[in-house]
Amino acid sequence: MQAMYIRVKRNKTTYFIQCDPTETILQMKEKLSNLIDQPANDQQLVLMPAGDVLEDSKSLADQKVENDAVVALTLRKDDNEFEDVNIVKPDDEF
Amino acid sequence: MKKEDTVKLISREGFEFIIDKKAAMVSQTIRNMLTSPGSFAETEHGQVTFPEINTTILEKICQYFYWSLQYASGKETEFHIEPEITLELMMAANYLHT
Repeated sequence: MQAMYIRVKRNKTTYFIQCDPTETILQMKEKLSNLIDQPANDQQLVLMPAGDVLEDSKSLADQKVENDAVVALTLRKDDNEFEDVNIVKPDDEF
Repeated sequence: MKKEDTVKLISREGFEFIIDKKAAMVSQTIRNMLTSPGSFAETEHGQVTFPEINTTILEKICQYFYWSLQYASGKETEFHIEPEITLELMMAANYLHT
């Protein structure tokens, strides 16, 4: 059991990824690449709700990514740009 | 982190949550599904659909699984539950034996 986890979201999918505050963003992308069949280089991670793009070489702690944080995943498109953040919110009734 | 070590839980509205198998096993119901031989077709593909559980509740349950593991390993944080989801969350927890 690692110290924390983050919630990586794209469209209607959420990945719960266990991690330590000292791990870098690149290490997170490498973990994700095992799950989504996309190389780290084609992933961009964006801290929500602030919308800050996270830098590969910095650690989670450096960029204030805490336990249970929501991080948006965007993928590289055919034109080499990254797609916009898209997280679908559930439309529940209580 | 390997794909084989995760499970995909799918809510009523078709939202997907990919979590560690170890976390999912906090639920006795999911544990039974994942460990009983050959009885649940879903578990062979590592995914379980919950037509009765809505997305907000299922996400809260996943957060609870991780909180539960962290708590068991000695981290004493509180688990926050919004009052408006309490009833549905309790019903889902009862179903999941969590």
